[in-house]
Amino acid sequence: MTLSFATVLGMLVFGIGCDADASVPELDRRAQELNKSIMCPVCPGESIDQSQHPLAVQMRAIVGDRLQEGWTAGQINDYFVERYGPSVLLEPPTEGSNLLVWIVPPVGVGLGGLLLYVGIRGMRRRDDAYDSAEPPLSEDERARYFAQIRKFQDDEPVAVSPEESRSRTEADR
Amino acid sequence: MIVDAGSLALWIALLVASYAVLSSLLGAWRRVPELVLSARYGFYTVPFLLLVAAAALVRAFVGHDFSVRYVAENSNLAMPSNYTWVAFYAGNAGSLLFIALVFSGMAVLAVTSISRRLPHVAPYSTAIMAAVVAFFLGIMVFLANPLERLPVPVADGQGINPLLVHFGMFIHPPMQMTGLVSVAIPFSIGVGTLLAGRGGNDDWVDLGRLWGMVSWLILTLGLLLGSWWAYTILGWGGYWAWDPVENSALMPWLATTAFVHSIMVQKRRGMFRMWNIILVAVAFTLAQMGMFINRGGPVPSVHSFAESTMGWLFLLFMTFTLLGSLAAFAWRIDTLKSRSRIESWLSRESAFLAQNALFLAVAFITLWGTVYPVIASVSSDVAITVGEPFFNRVNGPLLLVIIFLMAVGPLLPWRRANGRVVVSALKFPLGGAAVAVAVLAATGVRDPVPVTALAVCAMAVTGIVHEWVRGTISRHRGGENYVVAYGRLLTANRPRYGGYVVHLAIAMLAIGAVGSSFYAAQRDFALEPGESASLGRYSFQYIDFDKTTYTDRDEITARFDVSAGGSRIGTMEARRTFYHDFRIGATRAAIRSTPVEDFYIVPSEFADDGSAVFRAYVNPLVWWMWMSGPLFVLGAALAISPRRPARFRARRFAGAGTNRARMTDGGPNVGASLGPASAVEIPEC
Repeated sequence: MTLSFATVLGMLVFGIGCDADASVPELDRRAQELNKSIMCPVCPGESIDQSQHPLAVQMRAIVGDRLQEGWTAGQINDYFVERYGPSVLLEPPTEGSNLLVWIVPPVGVGLGGLLLYVGIRGMRRRDDAYDSAEPPLSEDERARYFAQIRKFQDDEPVAVSPEESRSRTEADR
Repeated sequence: MIVDAGSLALWIALLVASYAVLSSLLGAWRRVPELVLSARYGFYTVPFLLLVAAAALVRAFVGHDFSVRYVAENSNLAMPSNYTWVAFYAGNAGSLLFIALVFSGMAVLAVTSISRRLPHVAPYSTAIMAAVVAFFLGIMVFLANPLERLPVPVADGQGINPLLVHFGMFIHPPMQMTGLVSVAIPFSIGVGTLLAGRGGNDDWVDLGRLWGMVSWLILTLGLLLGSWWAYTILGWGGYWAWDPVENSALMPWLATTAFVHSIMVQKRRGMFRMWNIILVAVAFTLAQMGMFINRGGPVPSVHSFAESTMGWLFLLFMTFTLLGSLAAFAWRIDTLKSRSRIESWLSRESAFLAQNALFLAVAFITLWGTVYPVIASVSSDVAITVGEPFFNRVNGPLLLVIIFLMAVGPLLPWRRANGRVVVSALKFPLGGAAVAVAVLAATGVRDPVPVTALAVCAMAVTGIVHEWVRGTISRHRGGENYVVAYGRLLTANRPRYGGYVVHLAIAMLAIGAVGSSFYAAQRDFALEPGESASLGRYSFQYIDFDKTTYTDRDEITARFDVSAGGSRIGTMEARRTFYHDFRIGATRAAIRSTPVEDFYIVPSEFADDGSAVFRAYVNPLVWWMWMSGPLFVLGAALAISPRRPARFRARRFAGAGTNRARMTDGGPNVGASLGPASAVEIPEC
């Protein structure tokens, strides 16, 4: 067991240990990060990092140049939003009407969790009541219970399929 | 000629399927077994009729019969003949025929077993499945007939979208379509049970679980193959982008995953009766949503291959399913009382419920993020995009908690656990996590998020391996050799140990996702032939390139001499293809894959003098993601494989007594400390 576990772990460590990322210049890395958050306006759903469209290539070059000139990520984003509208950002900004897209998930998850909590707690409470407070059936209740069973057996539903009637006759035998 | 026979077969199939719906429901309502039987036998003919139609279409493709509109639109004379098979389901009408054919075949299999094992439920299930088939047939016959003739035949067809000409296309789209529509089977079993008023019986659980697992597995493989296709051909070094169509395939997968877990609670404890039917209804609704988004849905996507204007019909069908399920609930709500209750926060039941809630939460967030752009553009007239960064940020933490639950949940006993039991069950997994953190820290990996994620994966893996080792050893003590002991352990409790295999596969996926999303390196290089560049421990020399012109495309192939850590690996080739007619470019990356990391080169631009821009990636641990595929199949197959006939089992338990059976099953023997109530339970899952 230790052996198999060590193998898995070894793979893991080895894979991540050789950190190729360190060989990429800092500026390139920041450019890539930005590229991944900007959509290519003419290729639906793709970031300019992914896309090979000439426009995406051009936009990548702009991101690189601006970073070189010392622009911040926010300034570069604003630059593109001004030209292509807010839909150019893959991550909607956390402001204005777009706040909704960010607020709903945590609120929904919170409400769901609350519902779950209340549900389980309710179940457990009723269960306690069931365990302790329920008195055993009285003679009278028992008689009623069995009468109901007999009644149920009498008006058993008619078979709706041949298999069913077959299985029922088998059971009767 | 055969084309006309195919058209006729479609018509007959539509009539038969519609008859099956009406007659099955009428027979169940008026209690006329003959009607039910005739509906069923009629339904059995539908796949054969569809086979005739499909054969006609394939024949038209192979014989280049361009008098058929669909053939003219999706193939041409230049196309390699084996891709005519792909063309069959590449467009809208053909993919509908494919879906109808495969689904009706699966549905007939399902109906035979349902009518044998759940005779009361069968009429309703048959009607639901026949309605699904009739829906597809109706669209084909009236709106998108794959066998429709052109008024004037053309000399040559338009050809197929070149992005679809890839090996993955033989498998991924049909797998995905089959997966989505097959969710209708567990749905029809669950809702059929509800309609039959037998929601209080747990006899639908085995069949529902079986078909739930089948469609879960198909969906899983569809998603995995799609990611693999994206990774090797789209040339952006990634495999998942939270694209609307990817999301729409993920959502039903999430709901189905929740279902195949919570159905175990009903199987074992008679709980979650209502919940399970809700889950299949949600899963099927989301699957229909997926088909809607894929077919001319409102959200732009890279996947819109089979685009059409009939998305609204799928939306209508989805609304009908949703309202119908709600009505069925309202009608039969009184039949769904649970046999038992959750007794403790610390129990397998609670873990399952939490798992369900989390999966639905991820599905809900994914749905929200996918449709929000539409909501925003309608309500406030702003165009915004909700893309990858949003989903990673919001879903990421939830996925982490899910893997944590995957590590802990299976180790908790049913009903209730006390602190001591939990501590002893979690001793090993927590130890594994601690070792992982220590080793990672020692090698310099200290970023909190990936380290936490990997530690949780290590916890899950250790938990599973520990259970296996302990079970095998205890069987070995009973006299079996280790191999036999391990094999018998796995087959003794198939849902449980099959589930463990699947969990291992999930851990592999998670490890690959963490490695490649936190530690990938990428860089663009502009190179002349002969020049070299390096990324991390890899260096590569751009040797030369070839340009070949075909009738429909230009192919440029670049060759590299690659070495890693100073030692030469060999030559790698990357290709860029440009299709003139479609004005579409496709790439084939050069990938060298090892368990440690992938080295990946993709060409972006070639100038005429041979200088080119390449992008190189080092993607750690991606190999593990693709290797998880076979494990998913293995685990799912084990989990649903039938056990020995019941009479053998009965004899064994009668002879051995439950306690011994529990020990030889090797399940968590924490149950032994639970008091008398648990001793009567057969140890399964």
